[in-house]
Parts: sequence; structure tokens; C-alpha cells
Amino acid sequence: RRGSSFSSPVVDPAACSHVNGFKVDNWKQNLRVIYRCFVWSGSAETRKRKAKSCVCHVCGAHLSRLHSCLYCVFFGCFAKKHIHEHAKSKRHNLAIDLLYGGIYCFVCQDYIYDKDMEQIAKEEQRKAWKLQAHLFAPAGIGERYSTWEPTKRELELLQHNPKRRRITTNCTIGLRGLINLGNTCFMNCIVQALTHTPLLRDFFLSDRHKCEMKPNSCLVCEMSQLFQEFYSGHRSPHIPFRLLHLVWTHARHLAGYEQQDAHEFLIAALDVLHRHCKGDDNGKKANNPNHCNCIIDQIFTGGLQSDVTCQVCHGVSTTIDPFWDISLDLPGSSTPFWPLSPGSDGSVVNGESQMSGATTLTDCLRRFTRPEHLGSSAKIKCSGCHSYQESTKQLTMKKLPIVACFHLKRFEHSAKLRRKITTYVSFPLELDMTPFMASSKESRMNGQYQQSMDTLNNDNKYSLFAVVNHQGTLESGHYTTFIRQHKDQWFKCDDAIITKASIKDVLDSEGYLLFYHKQFLEYE
Amino acid sequence: MKMEAMSLSGLDNTKLEALAHDIYSDLVEDACLGLCFEVHRAVKQGYFFLDETDQDSMKDFEIVDQPGVDIFGQVYNQWKNKECVCPNCSRSIAASRFAPHLEKCLGMGRNSSRIANRRIASSNNMSKSESDQEDNDDINDNDWSYGSEKKAKKRKSDKVFLRSLKQPVLLNPNSPRRSKSLKHKNGELNNNVNTDPYKYNYNSGISYETLGPEELRSLLTTQCGVISEHTKKMCTRSLRCPQHTDEQRRTVRVFLPGPSASTLPDVDAVVESDGYDVSDGQALMNRLQWDGSSDISPSDSASSKASTNNSDSKKPKKKKKPSLGLSSSGTGGTGGGTGGGPGTAGSGSSSQGVLSLPSRKKKPKLPAPPTPSIYDDMN
Repeated sequence: RRGSSFSSPVVDPAACSHVNGFKVDNWKQNLRVIYRCFVWSGSAETRKRKAKSCVCHVCGAHLSRLHSCLYCVFFGCFAKKHIHEHAKSKRHNLAIDLLYGGIYCFVCQDYIYDKDMEQIAKEEQRKAWKLQAHLFAPAGIGERYSTWEPTKRELELLQHNPKRRRITTNCTIGLRGLINLGNTCFMNCIVQALTHTPLLRDFFLSDRHKCEMKPNSCLVCEMSQLFQEFYSGHRSPHIPFRLLHLVWTHARHLAGYEQQDAHEFLIAALDVLHRHCKGDDNGKKANNPNHCNCIIDQIFTGGLQSDVTCQVCHGVSTTIDPFWDISLDLPGSSTPFWPLSPGSDGSVVNGESQMSGATTLTDCLRRFTRPEHLGSSAKIKCSGCHSYQESTKQLTMKKLPIVACFHLKRFEHSAKLRRKITTYVSFPLELDMTPFMASSKESRMNGQYQQSMDTLNNDNKYSLFAVVNHQGTLESGHYTTFIRQHKDQWFKCDDAIITKASIKDVLDSEGYLLFYHKQFLEYE
Repeated sequence: MKMEAMSLSGLDNTKLEALAHDIYSDLVEDACLGLCFEVHRAVKQGYFFLDETDQDSMKDFEIVDQPGVDIFGQVYNQWKNKECVCPNCSRSIAASRFAPHLEKCLGMGRNSSRIANRRIASSNNMSKSESDQEDNDDINDNDWSYGSEKKAKKRKSDKVFLRSLKQPVLLNPNSPRRSKSLKHKNGELNNNVNTDPYKYNYNSGISYETLGPEELRSLLTTQCGVISEHTKKMCTRSLRCPQHTDEQRRTVRVFLPGPSASTLPDVDAVVESDGYDVSDGQALMNRLQWDGSSDISPSDSASSKASTNNSDSKKPKKKKKPSLGLSSSGTGGTGGGTGGGPGTAGSGSSSQGVLSLPSRKKKPKLPAPPTPSIYDDMN
């Protein structure tokens, strides 16, 4: 027997030295076969084979914690010690549990955890899982979730710091007030929304940002620092002066001290973060925002499809533009909200002046995605007709972002009119974007649209997690944010003051910026 | 139990139920086993203890839901005295005033290009005087003092008064404009002053800092122009205005248009730029190409055209005035708590004429043609 080249001096107390006898020759492949055939059955055939062949060679049982010998083809149940007898008589000291894949050493008389063998186990499990993925929803599952395990170093650190706190539902960690630096509530409200965006939080708390910029000039680093502050356990409000400095340095168009718009700040902040994520801080816009893979794009960037249909030849010209937010007109503004143009989903009759009941977010989205006659004064050059023709334009969602931000256009700045529209718009806790998707429009046009499909498709379901509100007038006002923590707890963030809020408070509020998070996320 | 294939048809309900129950209990047992393995592994790998948390300290972090306090159990509005350090200038600033400070510090405000120009012009001169001048801006803007505005203002005037003992010209305690300017100090919404080429604020005279050299010169040919100490604005009365003396007018005309590179004398370094020596002014006057004194003769009041010509001829000799004191966009009272409305035109910045006269420089030479400041495009 030649010594295994894979064996290493065993320092790990979880493993044992007795595996070294096993780790010889083609042991890796042998082990894979065992996992593939007898432990993780990925396909229907392997499952059948397992069910039929994996029985105790002594008593025929198949359910009493069956184990397979690692050295030969022998199945024995653990409960009745048949595998133990085999091990003793054949001196085969390793067996594998067929249910969970754990390796048992008869010398140590305990399950052991060997790094190399566990690696193989994990790989085979992943493969099997992928094979099973077709069983689940059309989108598939992809990767199976595995819990985090600390490395040796992390273990050491954790052992040295015994005052650990777990973030339970009744815990303030993750919440923190923000000092107003002088009319900066427009910034504070956006910071609260961002720090409570689950994916963004996870990204930063797991230190995923690798900075390529000069020190103290990167907004992403500052964002990371912000999360550290929010999860530090400090109760006094944080002073986001460095954040303000960085945003103003990198987004000069935000004109300084005067009262500003939270929506503008959001877009500017996302833009700077997006730029800095790529390590590019000289202000150049990304060539194609769609192709960037930074965390900001992954979370916030969606695709808006614009279809312009020529009224004469019915040829459609389609463009897709990236977006970070959807700005929605409201009833009561100078642009007419009702009636919807003909050709929409038919629920509104042309000429109807006002719907009964409160306007809903869905109404606004319906209006946003309605086909719109561009009129005779705005003819488009049609490549099919080779001339200028009247056309209709329609917007739909091509690709939804993971976080969808809806901006209710409450501030009217037309030539003569400057006012705030305070019309109440009711928005839901859960939102299904399916009717507004480009794909739904296509199915409708092809006559395939079925209402019932919506409930099965989880892709387009969103949950509300942050609401930014504005109180006051156009000239002077104050921003606050409601944010969601731990699934169903809501808090009101008013600069330095954080208080508990009810779902009713949130849903009754006026709403200016609404942040929705996709309910189901897929691994790519 | 041996495994055997069996058909489910022909089995009565009780049998089926028993089978179902068997399957169910097997599944439960398997699930429990899985949990046992997880725990076993955690213990053996050494991370099982992670589940333990410090219960006592966790109590400190429980959410509080009571009126009058926030979720941390803290009373509202106790955070007035927070301070922070400006990343740009490294000064300690009151947190609630940080934004207005930063606006000026970064050169983003309406008046910042003037400040920037002045700083650039004096950047060769890295004496303490410069930093003290900045002090002046900030004192007036109340960036870093919690004291009342009045108090800060008073401090400023005190200094000015002291400096100006040598030259009473700049003091004008009786100026009627004084009360007017104080009235508008608290951040009322002013009209947008930028539309008028002279940046004329009807309430308190002309802000000379906002004028270019051309404008200044032509202005000084028709108007008194003496700078009020309290409002820092130029007097807009006629050249014969009884409020001010000819001496004062002469002084202003000597000093204001700004020294040209070649002739600026090495004026002695008075720390604050609030006042200047008359004697220096005289020396200046002799060397300046543009002899201000001739223009302020009362007889010239009607000859604006002539003065325009005059200034044109001087044009090549004059550099663009690098800086003229600082301006304040001291925001007065409305800062602080209430935050934003959407981006709108300026909420009120009062026009407190903060400063003073053009800075005195130690070095006679100005940096040759003032390079466009990075702050220029801000305005």
C-alpha cells in the first residue's frame, strides 16, 4: 500500500487519523460514487436504485439508519449494529450514513469530519440538488442554501469575545438615528432606506466591497462604514458628515445647502455609488449601465421597455432603457391622470373623469404603462413607412430590479404652477408587478393572458420595506422614513429620533418614495 | 421489516392510515436525526458555543416602545451639542451647522467663488492671517458657535472697531442702512439677486464683492461708494452724499478696484482684513494707473459715459480682481431642524455683508492671470 499523497498530519480534532488508511489509490472517485449512488440521489433512477438496493445485508431493513461500508459493498443498519459487526469482522473501520452522508469511524466510535472528504460530499450534494431543481418553480432553485461556518481564525476571534449578542426581533441593533446637519433630512431619509435594504445590508456586512480608490474618497467605503455604525450597538445618533461631504464632492450638481429633494439625492447617491463600485471616480458614466455588475446595478437597475407603434404600418420600434426608479404622475397634477387612453386593459372607459375611491399605486402603474397617443404634433419617423407617422407609445417593465423604487410626483414645477400634490395614494404591503411586465403585454397581445398564472409566478412579487414621506410645503418641509425590520416590525425614522410604528401608520401615510423588495430571489 | 412491493389497492382505510403513519414517523425521525448531526458537527468543529449569547447585555438592546422616548429609551432632542470635524478644512464644526459650512468650504454656495478666488489669490501667502480671515467668515455664519447670532456679530464688530481705529472712514454707525440689514438677517426668502448685473440688493446697498472691476469703476463714477461698516455695502447715494466725506470716497476708490500686480505695495500685515492704513492707501494711489481721485470729483457725476471710456483705457493694466473679501450667505435662523423640500430656488439667505475689504496680501504680486478656479463653474 502506498501512502496517500493526500493525507496531511491530522491536527483537526474533528477528523481522525484512521481515515489515512482509506485515502489511498482512487479513493476520491470511489467516495464520489458512493455519495452519488447511495446518499444524494439526484435523479429518479438513482432514487429507485437506492430504494431497491440499499437494504441491510443482514436483516433486510432499509430504514434503521442504514450505513454503507467504505471499503466494500456492504450495507448494514446502525440501529441493530449490523454494520458494527461487519466493521469488526472485516476490519473495515469506516462507514457512511446513507441519509445524511456522515462518516463514522469505528475506532474513534464517533462520526468524524475530514476536510477532504467533506469537500467531496459537498460537491456531490450540490450536483444532486441541481438535478432536482426542475421539480421546483420554473425559475429553478440552483444552489441549496448552506449555513455559514466560521473559519479557524473567526472561531478564535469569537472565542475571545464572549459578549456576543444575537439580533433578535426585539433588538435595536441595526437601527440608529441620524443627526440633521442643517436641512439634510433629505439625505437622512434616503440613508435610512438604504441601510434597511436587506441585500445591500448583507453585501456590506459581509465586507464584499473591494476598494480601488484613494482612501477617504470612496462613497462605497463610506457606505460600508455606515453599516458598521448602524450595527455597532451605539444608541446615540450617527453624524453623517463624511457622507455628505463625499456626496457633494462627487455629485456637484446637488446645489449645496438649500433644501433639496430626497428623490434627487437618491439618484445622485446611487450614481456615485455605482461609479465608485467600479473604482472609477473621474466622473465618467458607465458605458452601458446594463452591463455593469456592481452591487448597485444588481439591486437597483431595472430595464424599461418603450414600444413605439406606428399607426399606419403597425411596426413596433422597441428600446430598453435602464432605470433606478419609476416616477409616477398623480391625479390632481396638471397632466391629466384620467381618462386612460383607449387600448389599455379596458377597465376604464374613455371620458370617465374620476374613479371612485382612493387612487392606488396600481392605478398609477396602470397609467404609467398605458399606450399613449403621441399626437399629430409629435410624429415619429417610421422605418417601415419611411415617413413621419402618428404613433402610440407604451412603457412596460422589461426587467424588474430586486429593489423597485416608486417616486410619486408630488412636486409640480410647471411654468406657472409650483405646488405640492397631496392626493392620498394608497399603496399595498405586497405588490405583484406581473401585469406591468413587457412579457405580460406580449401574452396579452397574443391572446394568452390568463389571470390565474399570476398567482403561480413568484418572480414579480414585491414587499414594501421603506416609505419616505414629506411633510410641509414646496418651499420648506421635512422628510421622514418608515422602515421595516424583522419581517413585520416597522419603525419611523425622523432624523435622530427612531420610534416604533404600526403597519397602519405606514399604509396611511402620504407616501413620496416607496421602496419594494423582491420576495423571491434567485441565485444566478 | 423486509422491503416488499405491495399494491395499495385492496387495502382498507385502517391499513392505509397505518402505512401513512409509519411513513410520517419515519420522516420525523429522519428530521430529528438531521438535527442531531448538525449539533454534533457544531460541537466537534468547535462552533457550537456561538449560539450562546450574553443575555445581560442583550437586555440593553431591547426595543422601547413608550411615548416621549425613542426605541433606545432616550428622550428626544438631546443631541444639540454634537460636533464633527470638516473633512475639507479640518475644523471642528457644530453638527447641525455642518451643511451650510460645507457648502462654503467646498465652494458650492452662491458666494463661494468669491471666497475661492480670494483664497487662491492669497494661497501664496500662507500666514496665520489667512486662517484668521476664514475665522471671520465662520464667525459670522455661526457655523461653529452655539452662541446667538447677535453675540457672534457683536464679536465681529468689536474686532472691526478696534482695527479701524486708525480709520474712522469705515465706521458708519449712523448709517440708516444698518437697521435694514439687521431686519433681513434671519433667512427670509430674498428675491433672487443674481439677475441684476450689479447684484443690487435694494435693502442694503450694493455688495461690492459681487461686482467685477468694470462695474465697480463705473459705479464709483456715479455713486458715493463708501462702504458701510455695518452692512459692508457700498453707499449708493450721489457723489456728493452728505453721509460720507470726500476722504472716505477717495479711500474707497483707491482700495476697492484692487491692486494691480505690479504696483501693489507690501502693505503691512494687519491680521484682519477689516481695515487698512490710510497711509498705505496714499502710496497705492500714487502708483495706481487709475487715479481714482479725479473720478470722484463732484463734477463728474453726470459723465458716466466719460467714465466708461476712462475705465476702458485702464483695462489692460488691471488684472481681474482676485477677491474681494468674503461674503456671507449666513443663513440666519431657519437652518437646523426642518429639512428639505424639493430642490427649489434659494431659501433665504440673508445678505449680511460680512466682510470687509479686500484682503491685504503680503506679497505684492498677484498670481498672474487668475487661473479659473475649480469653483467657477459652480456659479
